[in-house]
Amino acid sequence: MIIDGSLSDLKAVFKGIKLIEEDPHHPLGNSGRVTILPKTEQEISSILEYANTHKHTVIIAGGGTKRGFGGLLEIADIQLSLAQYTGIVEHDPGDMTLTIKSGTPFQVIQNHLAPYNQKIPLDPFFPEAATIGGIISANDSGPKRLGYGAARDNVIGLRMVYPDGSLIRSGGKVVKNVAGYDMNKLFIGAMGTLGVISEVTLKLRPIAKYESILLISFPNSSLEVISASAVKVLDSLVEPISLEIITPALAGKLTNTNQYTLLISFEDVKSSVHYQEDVIRHMMPEKTTIKSLSEHEANSFWNTFYHHQPHVYTNVSATEAVLKIGVINLDVIKLLQEAELIGDSCHVSIEAHGGLGTGICQMAIKGASADVLSAIRLVRETAVQLGGYAIIKHLPFSLRKEANVWGNKTASQFLFEGIKQKIDQNGILNPNRFVGGI
Amino acid sequence: MSVKETVLKQDPPCTSTLGNYLWRDPPQESKWADCVHCGMCLESCPTYEQTGEEQQSPRGRVYLIKAVAEGKLFVDEHFADPVFSCLDCRACTTACPVDVDVGGLIEEARGQIRQSMPLKGWKKTVNRFFLHGVFPHHNRLNSIGTLLRFYQKSGLQKVVRKTKLINIMPKHLREMESIMPEVKSCVHKKYDSVIKANGETKHEVSLLTGCVMDVFFSDINESTITVLTRNGNDVCIPRNQTCCGALHVHAGDREMGRKLAKQNIEAFENAETVIVNAAGCGCMMKEYTELFRDDPEWKKRAESFEEKVVDISKYLHDTGYEKPKAMLKTRITYHDACHLAHGQGVRQEPRDILLDIPGVEMVHMPKADSCCGSAGIYNLTHPEMADAVLKSKMENVPDDVEMISMGNPGCMMQMALGVQKYGRNQKIVHTVQLLDWAYQKEERGSSHGSPKD
Amino acid sequence: MAVLKINTTDKHIINLANIVDGPRTILYKKADLLAYDCDGFTIHKHLPKAVVFPKSTEEVSKLVKYCSDNGLPFLARGAGTGLSGGAIPINGEVIISMVRMKKLISIDLANRRAVVEPGFVNLKLTNSISDKGYYYAPDPSSQYCCTIGGNVAENAGGAHCLKYGVTTNHILGLEVVLPNGEIVEIGRNGVLDEPGYDLLGLITGSEGTLGIVTKITVRILKNPEGKQTVLAYFDKVEDGSQAVSDIISAGIVPAALEMMDKIAIEAVEAAAFPVGHPKDIEAVLLIEVDGIAAGIEEQVNQILEVCRKRNVREVRAAKDEAERERWWANRKTGFGAMGAISPDYLVQDGVIPRSKLPEVLSKISQISKVSGLRIANIFHAGDGNLHPLVLFDARKPGEIDKALEAGSACLKACADVGGTITGEHGVGIEKREEMRFVFKDEEIRAQTNIREVFNPNNLLNAGKLFPTPGRCVEIKKELKSLS
Repeated sequence: MIIDGSLSDLKAVFKGIKLIEEDPHHPLGNSGRVTILPKTEQEISSILEYANTHKHTVIIAGGGTKRGFGGLLEIADIQLSLAQYTGIVEHDPGDMTLTIKSGTPFQVIQNHLAPYNQKIPLDPFFPEAATIGGIISANDSGPKRLGYGAARDNVIGLRMVYPDGSLIRSGGKVVKNVAGYDMNKLFIGAMGTLGVISEVTLKLRPIAKYESILLISFPNSSLEVISASAVKVLDSLVEPISLEIITPALAGKLTNTNQYTLLISFEDVKSSVHYQEDVIRHMMPEKTTIKSLSEHEANSFWNTFYHHQPHVYTNVSATEAVLKIGVINLDVIKLLQEAELIGDSCHVSIEAHGGLGTGICQMAIKGASADVLSAIRLVRETAVQLGGYAIIKHLPFSLRKEANVWGNKTASQFLFEGIKQKIDQNGILNPNRFVGGI
Repeated sequence: MSVKETVLKQDPPCTSTLGNYLWRDPPQESKWADCVHCGMCLESCPTYEQTGEEQQSPRGRVYLIKAVAEGKLFVDEHFADPVFSCLDCRACTTACPVDVDVGGLIEEARGQIRQSMPLKGWKKTVNRFFLHGVFPHHNRLNSIGTLLRFYQKSGLQKVVRKTKLINIMPKHLREMESIMPEVKSCVHKKYDSVIKANGETKHEVSLLTGCVMDVFFSDINESTITVLTRNGNDVCIPRNQTCCGALHVHAGDREMGRKLAKQNIEAFENAETVIVNAAGCGCMMKEYTELFRDDPEWKKRAESFEEKVVDISKYLHDTGYEKPKAMLKTRITYHDACHLAHGQGVRQEPRDILLDIPGVEMVHMPKADSCCGSAGIYNLTHPEMADAVLKSKMENVPDDVEMISMGNPGCMMQMALGVQKYGRNQKIVHTVQLLDWAYQKEERGSSHGSPKD
Repeated sequence: MAVLKINTTDKHIINLANIVDGPRTILYKKADLLAYDCDGFTIHKHLPKAVVFPKSTEEVSKLVKYCSDNGLPFLARGAGTGLSGGAIPINGEVIISMVRMKKLISIDLANRRAVVEPGFVNLKLTNSISDKGYYYAPDPSSQYCCTIGGNVAENAGGAHCLKYGVTTNHILGLEVVLPNGEIVEIGRNGVLDEPGYDLLGLITGSEGTLGIVTKITVRILKNPEGKQTVLAYFDKVEDGSQAVSDIISAGIVPAALEMMDKIAIEAVEAAAFPVGHPKDIEAVLLIEVDGIAAGIEEQVNQILEVCRKRNVREVRAAKDEAERERWWANRKTGFGAMGAISPDYLVQDGVIPRSKLPEVLSKISQISKVSGLRIANIFHAGDGNLHPLVLFDARKPGEIDKALEAGSACLKACADVGGTITGEHGVGIEKREEMRFVFKDEEIRAQTNIREVFNPNNLLNAGKLFPTPGRCVEIKKELKSLS
C-alpha cells in the first residue's frame, strides 16, 4: 500500500518518468493513487520490479476504453498507463508482420499500414482510443472475426514484462511456430493479470480490393425465418467475412430500420464480392429489404458500428452495461430473442448483435441500476442454459461486485489460480480483475 | 527423421550371422532397410485396425523381424504371434511411400519360424494333410471334391445339418461348411489339353486351373475358357501343372513352395502367356523369384516365368475383348482382392470390364481394397481375427447391390460367408463370370431371362 | 484377440490391466513392447514398462491416477508418427495408447463442429463429411494415419495451413485428464472465448506434457467453391524466393505455396511420381489458390504476372484435376523420395521470415559445403517453413553425427534471422537443446513453471520439449566446428 510518504520515494526512484497525481476516484474504478507513464520497456520493467518488491498493487491502463471491464479494486497503488509507450518497432511489408509497442492506438497502426495495402485483421471497438495491448489483453473482437479470427489467431509473438520485472518473450516473428509451449495464448485475454504486454507481433493481411456489406431487414418475421435464411447462407458457397444478426433496437440506431437485420459482409476482388452478393439476394425470402453498402458507405457504417457501445461513464441518470456472451453459433438467435423479452420484463433497453458463425454476442443494456442488474442475471441464466456464458465488459464500479463480472467459477479455476500464483506470487498485477477473483 | 537405427546401435552389424535367424533363406536386410518407421502403413493394416497394437501392424512386424536379425529378440512364440497373425494382404506395400516389401519379409520370417519351431500335434496333422497331402495332388483334391459332391448331392448334407450332427464341428468350420460352393466336375476332367479359339486364333495362352479353384469353382474356370476362346485365344491346359504353392509359402513351408514352383515353371515352360484367374495364385507366381534367391539357375527360370503370368482381367483389358451387347441389368459392387490390387496392381481393369457390360450399374464400395479376412487359410487358422476383418468389410458393402464381383476364389468363399452371416443377400461372382454370362445372354438372344439363376 | 492371460508377478502390470475393461488391454512382454520403443523419430529408443489400451475417459483417468499414486512415469501415444520423438518412453513409461478411443462422437454441420475421440484418424474426419461439402483443415502429410489427439499434442500443420491455420486454430474444446487423474473440460460445448486463461491454446502443442486429451471438439470448414494450382520453374533460387514474397505482398493469400530446390527436384523425379520437371532448374514453385470461383482467375493471372516479372522460365496453371493431383503427389512424397538419391536423410523443420529466404538458403548451402553432405530443400515457402533434408550414408563412420550437426546448424541459421527451430514437427527429444537458439534460460523456466502447475511431479512425458541443464556448451562447440 502506498502511503503519502512513499510517494516522494517513488518520485525519487522514477525521476525521468511522468507521474500524475489526481483525484483517484472514478465511477469506473480501476484507478491508481499515482499514475505512471513509462516510455520504454526498461521503465516498465523497473516500475514492476519496484512495485513487486514493495508489494504495491498495479493497475494497467491503455486508452481507457476498458476501464469498466472487470476489477474489484477501486484504487490500486499504481496505475501503469501505457499511453506514452507507443510506436512501431518493426514493419516488414514483405513478411507481412508487424511489431508494435503495446500502448499504440489501434487506428494509428491501421493508418500506418494502409499505404502498404495491409492491415491487422482485427476489428475492435473504439479503434482510435483502444491500444493494441488493451485489445489483446481483453481479447476484444468484432464481427469480422468470422473471416479473420481473433487475437489468438493473429498474434504471433509477445514481449511480456513479468511482475518481477523480467522480460519474457513468447512466440516470435514467424507465422508458424511450435517451439515450446504456446505462451502467447496464455497472455491473450488474461486481462493483464500475468504481466504487462510490452511489444506485440502480429500477422498482417492484405486489405481486400473490394468490400461490401449487405443489410437484410426482416419485417415482422419470426426468428425461425431469419434462422433458416442464415443457415442457407452458411450452407452456400459464399465466404462472408461477417455474418451478424442485429436486434431491432440496434438496427434502428445503425440503419434507421427498426427490424431484425442480418449483416453480411464480403471482402475479396470485386467480381467475387458481386457474385456473392447475388447469391445472397437470390436466397433471401420475399418481403425482406436488402441494402448494399460498398466502399465508403461500408466504412462509414463500420465506423458507427464500432462506436455504438458505451464505454465511458457519461450518463448519470441511467446505468449502462455491456455484456459479451458466448453460445453455440446458431443459438445466438435464441439468445437474442430471449434478450428482447428480458428487456421488456426488466424495463431496460437492450441493443445487441451476435455472430452466427462465431456464437459471440455483444449486448448493451441501459436502465435503472437494479433493472440492469436483473437483466444481466437473466441474460446470463439464458446463456448458461444454452451451454454458454456471459461476462460483463462494461459496468460502473459500484455495481461490479454485485453483478459478478465473470460468472461462476469452472472446474479449471484451480489451474488459473496455479498459473497466476506461479507468475505473480505477490498478486500485484490487476488484482481481482479476472475470473474467480484472480 | 530417417536415420536408420541399425547403424546407430553400438553392436557390430550382424550381416554375417543375421542374428537369431538360424536357417537359410532368412528375411533380407535390403527389404527392411528402407523402412523409416513413418507409420504410413498403420491404417492400411486390417489387424492394426482391429487391435490398435503396433506389433500387429506392418511397421511393428518389420521392426520385430529386424530385431531378431539384430539379436534383440528370439524366434519364439512371442515373435511368431504377430508374424502369423498377418493376413499377408499387402495393403501396407501400397500405402508405403518407399514400397517396403512387408509381405516378402513376413513369408521369410514364417519360413524361419516353421523351421525353428515345427508345428506339433493336431495342427501339424491338419497342416500336413492339406498342404502336403491334398493341394499339390490333383487326383486327391478331386477325390475330396467327389466326396463333397456326394455329401451335397446325396442328401447327407441335409441330414447332417438336420440332425445337428453339424454341431460337433468347431463354430468357424461350421460356418465354412454352410457356404461351401456346390462342387461341379473340374475342367481338368472335362476338357482336352488344348481348347481352340472360336474363329481365328489370335493368341495362344495357357491357363492355370488351380488346385482349389478347379474343384470348388470349376464353373469359373469354364467361364474363363469360354471368354478366352470367344476372344480368339487358343487355351492350353498343361496337364502336369500343380498348386501354385501360395498357401505353403504363407504358412512358412518354403521348401514345399519351391518344389511346387519348379513343377509349374516346368509345366508352363513352353507357354507364352500364363493366364490366372485366382489373384492369390497369380501374385505367388509373379514372386517365384523370391524363392530362388540363392539358386541362380532356377532364379533365372523363375524370372522369365514371372514375366508370362498375367491375371485374366488384365490380359483381356490389354489384348482387347469383344464388348458384350446383351443387357445384364444389375447393380453390382467390386471388391479388390488383396493379391490383385496390392499384389499385382490390377485395380481398374476388372472395373472397366464390368462397366463394359451393358446394364451393369457399379456402386462404389468404400475401402474396396481392404482385406475380407480370407487370406488363404487364415480364416481357418485365425477365425476370430478373420471374422472381425470380415465384419468391417461387410459394413462397407453397399446395401442396395445385387452382386459383389471379385477376382479371387478365397475372397469369394469368405464374402459368401459374410453375406450369409450378416444377413445380406448379394450374389458373389467372379468378374470373368459376369462377362461370360453377358456373352451367353447375347448368344441366346435377349428374350431369355437373367442368367443369374 | 483371445482374452489375455496375464502371466507376470509385477503387481503394477496386473493392477493396470484390471483398470481397463475387456480383452487384451495391456502389453508387457518384450516382443510386444519393442514395437513401442520409438515413434517416427528413430534415433532415441527405450522400452516402455507396458502399453495399456483404455476405451473411455474414466479408464484413462483411473490409469493416470494409478501411475501418479505409484510414482510410475507415463505418457500418451497415438499412431506414433511424430517426427521429434514426443511419444518415445525415454524413462520407461507406461504408455497409455489412445488408439482404441477412436470414435467420431458427433457431427454438427449447422454449427460447423465435430466431436471426436483422440484416436480418431485425421483424414477420416474429412472423409466422413466430404460428401456433404465439408472438411477438416489441418492436413499434415501423415494425415492418412495420424490421430487427431496427436495433432493436438503437436499442434500439427500441413501444406494448407498458410491460409487456414494450424491445429490450434481449429480446436474449439477439449476434455483433458490432468496428470493427477482429474478430468477437466475446456471450451465446453465448443463455445469460443470461455472465461479464464486460454488453456485450449496452451494445451494444444504442449506435446503431451500437460495432460492427456480424451475428447476433442474441432471446427470444420466448408469446401471452397473453386481451386487452381500454378506451377512455376525458376533458373535462380533468388527469383523463386522473390516471387514468393511478391505473391504474398500482392495481396494474394494462397491456400498453399510450396517450393523445392534442385536436389529435391532430382529426388522427386527419380521417385514414384515424376512429373517431368526440367533437370536444370534451380527452383520449382507450386501455388494453390482457392475460394469463390469468380475471383480465382484474377488471382491466377496475377500470380502468372508476378512470376514472369521474376524471370520465370515457365509458368502455367494445371489444365485439369488430374494434372493438379499429379503435381501434388509429386510434392507430397518429397521426403520419401529422398530414398531414391540417398541411403539416409534427416529432415529439419526451421521457420524464417519469408524475406530471409535467399539469405538462409545460401547459409544452408554453405553448411552443406562445410559438412560435405548434400542438403535438399523442400519447404512451405508461403509461411517460411523450411524442411532442409540432410542427405547422408549412415554406413560411413561419423556421417550420422555430421548430419545431426548440419541439421542443427540449419536450425541455428533459421534462429539467427529471427526464425524458429520448429514450425510443425515439435521439439520432442530431437530439438530439446536447440530450444536454446530461441529462448533464454528464464524464458524456458517461465514455460517449465507452467508445466509445474499441471504436472507438478513431472511423471507425465518427462524429459521432452525442454533442454537438459548444462548441455548448452557442448552444442555451441559442435556448431563452432561447422561455421
